[in-house]
Amino acid sequence: MLLLQVLINGLLLGGLYGIMALGMSLIWGVMNIVNVAHGALIMLGAYLTFWMFYLWGLDPFVSLPLTIASLFVYGYCLQRWVLNLVVRAQLFLTLLITFGVEVVMINVARLLWSSDLRQVAPSYAAANFEVGELTIPWVRLWVFATTLVLSLVFLVVLEHTRLGRAIRATSEELRAARLTGIPVAHIYAVTFGLGAALAGAAGGLWGMLFPITPVMGGSLTLKSFVVAVLGGLGTMLGAIVGGLVLGLAESFTATYLGPTYPNAISFGLLVLILILRPTGILGRKT
Amino acid sequence: MTTRESQRRWGLFVGTLVSAILLAGGIAHAADEIVLGTAISQTGKYAREGKFYVDAYTLTVDAVNKAGGVKVGGKTYQLTLKMYDDQSDPSLSVRLFTKLVTSDKVNFLLGPYSSGITIPASAVAEKYEIPMIQGGGASGKIFDRGYTYIFGTLPKAELYFQSAIEAAAKMNPPVRTAALLFSNEAFDRSVGEGSRQWLKDAKIDKVYDEEYQPATQDFTSILAVIKTKNPDLILVAGHEENSLNFIRQAQAAGVNPRMMVFTVGPPTGDFRKTLGRAAEYVYGVTPWLPDMEIGGDIFKSARDFDKQFQPRFGYAADYHVASGAADVLAFKAAIERAQSLDAKKVREALAALDVETLYGRIKFESTGQIAMSQVLVQILDGKVVPVYVAGRFVNKPVYPAPKWSERK
Repeated sequence: MLLLQVLINGLLLGGLYGIMALGMSLIWGVMNIVNVAHGALIMLGAYLTFWMFYLWGLDPFVSLPLTIASLFVYGYCLQRWVLNLVVRAQLFLTLLITFGVEVVMINVARLLWSSDLRQVAPSYAAANFEVGELTIPWVRLWVFATTLVLSLVFLVVLEHTRLGRAIRATSEELRAARLTGIPVAHIYAVTFGLGAALAGAAGGLWGMLFPITPVMGGSLTLKSFVVAVLGGLGTMLGAIVGGLVLGLAESFTATYLGPTYPNAISFGLLVLILILRPTGILGRKT
Repeated sequence: MTTRESQRRWGLFVGTLVSAILLAGGIAHAADEIVLGTAISQTGKYAREGKFYVDAYTLTVDAVNKAGGVKVGGKTYQLTLKMYDDQSDPSLSVRLFTKLVTSDKVNFLLGPYSSGITIPASAVAEKYEIPMIQGGGASGKIFDRGYTYIFGTLPKAELYFQSAIEAAAKMNPPVRTAALLFSNEAFDRSVGEGSRQWLKDAKIDKVYDEEYQPATQDFTSILAVIKTKNPDLILVAGHEENSLNFIRQAQAAGVNPRMMVFTVGPPTGDFRKTLGRAAEYVYGVTPWLPDMEIGGDIFKSARDFDKQFQPRFGYAADYHVASGAADVLAFKAAIERAQSLDAKKVREALAALDVETLYGRIKFESTGQIAMSQVLVQILDGKVVPVYVAGRFVNKPVYPAPKWSERK
C-alpha cells in the first residue's frame, strides 16, 4: 500500500516538474538560451496568482489563464527588447543576461512584496479522498490534470499549427526560415513568451501546494534544468517524461533511502543518463 | 604597455583614496559613541528572519540612546549600529565581520542569523578578541569549541523539545510513540540529538527518526511513511517554511497525531496568518512571549517592548526580536559594569553578567550560551497559549488534537 501511495505522490508532483521544465526546454531548444531566470518567471506567476486570490478573491484555477497571458506578454517583451540583442552571441553572454534578469526580478519582488511567506489557500486546499488505504489530495490531482491538459494543448500548438511550424523551422534551420519569410525576431519573442507562459502556469499551480517567496525560483530553475536534460533537450514530450521520472525518483528515494537523499539521487540519475544516453530519455540522436 | 601602466597607476590612486576614506571613517567614530557592528541577512534565504534582528537592533539602540545612552566613567556614550548584509552567505559573513573588526574598527559585535552562519562568523570574534553577542544561533556547535568571546541568547538547541517531550509524557492519555524529523542543518541536528535523549528519559518509543534537507518542499513521501507508523507525537525541527509545508501536507494526507510540535513557526504571527485554521492545535516552543511578566532596564516589560515595536515595524515581536534586543541590552549592561570600552574587560563583565531584561534573565553559562528553558505553546483560536512552563502546566492544552476530518 505504501508503495502505491509513494508512486501516486511521485506522479502527482512529477506532472508539475514536467510543466516547469517544458518552458525551459522550449527556450533552450529553439534559441539555445539557458534561461537562468526561469525560476524567477515561475515566482512571478505564483505571485500573480496569489495577489489575484488575495485581493480579488479569484480562485487560483480561474485566474490561471490571466497569469498565463500576463507572463506571455512579459516574456515576449523581455525577448523582443532585451534578449534578442544577444540571442546569437555566445552561450555565456545569454547566461549572464538571464542571470541579471533573475537578480533584478527577485529583488524587485522583495521590494514590492517583502520576503514574507505567502500561501494561496482556497477553501478546498486540504481536501482529500480515500481509496482503500490510499489518500489522495484533491488539489494535487487537479494540479496534475491541469498540467497534462496545458502540456497537451502546447504540444498540439507546436506540432500542428503554422506558428508551431514556424518555431520549429527557426529552431532547425535559421537561414532557411529567414528565406521563407519567417519574421525571426518575432518568432523568438513568441517562443520566449510561450516559455514564460508555461513557467507562469507552473508558478500558479506551485503556489497552490507550496509557500511563495521571492527566492523560491532558484531551486526550481535547477529542477527544470535537470528535468529538461533528463527528458531530452528540445523534445517537448521529453520534458514531461523527465518530470515524471524526477518526481518518482524523489518520492521513492525519500521513502526508501531517507529524506536527505532525493537531490543526490536526482543528480546521480542525471549523470547516469548523460553517460548512457547523452541526448536524454527521449532525445533524438544528432 | 602605457595603457597598462596608466591603469595600474589609476588602480593605485583609487586604492589609496579608498583606504584613506576607510581610515577616516575609522577615526571619525572614535568620538563619544560606541559602535556595534554586525553583518546580518537582509537578502537571500534568511532575509525574513534577518529582518527581525535588523529591526530589533535598530529599535533597541534607539531606545538606549533616548534613555541617555551608555554611561562609562561619568561620560555618556551614544550607541551606533554599523550594519552590512551578508546575503545569507556564510563566507561573505566572515569577510564582512573581518572588515568590521579590521577596517571599520567597531567596538563590539552583534551576531548574524542562523547557526550555520554564526559558527564561522564567531571565529572572527574569537580571533580578534572582540566580544560578540548573538541572538540568532542556538546550535551547541557554536559554543563547544572553547571560545571565550562568543555569547548567545537563544536557549540550547538540545533543550528545544525538552519541555514538549516532558509535557507529552504527562498528558492524558500519555504519549507512547513519537516520530522525530529534523533537517540536516547544524542547529536542527542538535535539536534531534537532544530530543532522542529526552524521549528515552520519558520512555516514549521512537518509531521514526529521519533527517531531511532544509530545502525540502514536498513532505508527502515522508508523511506517507509516518502515517504507516501512526505515532502519537510528531516532532519537527526546521525552518518556518518547512513547518508550513509539513502542516499543510499533513492535513492533505490525513495524518492525525495527537500532538505535533515544531521548533520554528507557531509563535510567529505571520505563520498563523499564512496557515489560517490549519495552524489550530499545533504546538510550538519559544523562549519568549510578549505577554510574559518580565522586564528590566530600558524596556519595563515584554509588553512595553512589543508596544514600541509593533507600531514602528508593523508586525508583532517574537522571540527572535526579543533575543536580538537582549543582545544590545547585554552589551549596555556589561559595558556599564566594566566601566570600560576595553574588549577584554567587557568580556569579563559579560561572563559574570546576571541581569533582568524584557527577554528574561540574562546569565550566560561557562560556554557562553544563555541558561534558559523553553515554553511549550499551543495555537488555540489563532492565539499563542503557553501550556507548559518550567516543569508544570499553566494552561490546559487541547489534547488529543481533533482529527483533520472532524474539524470545521
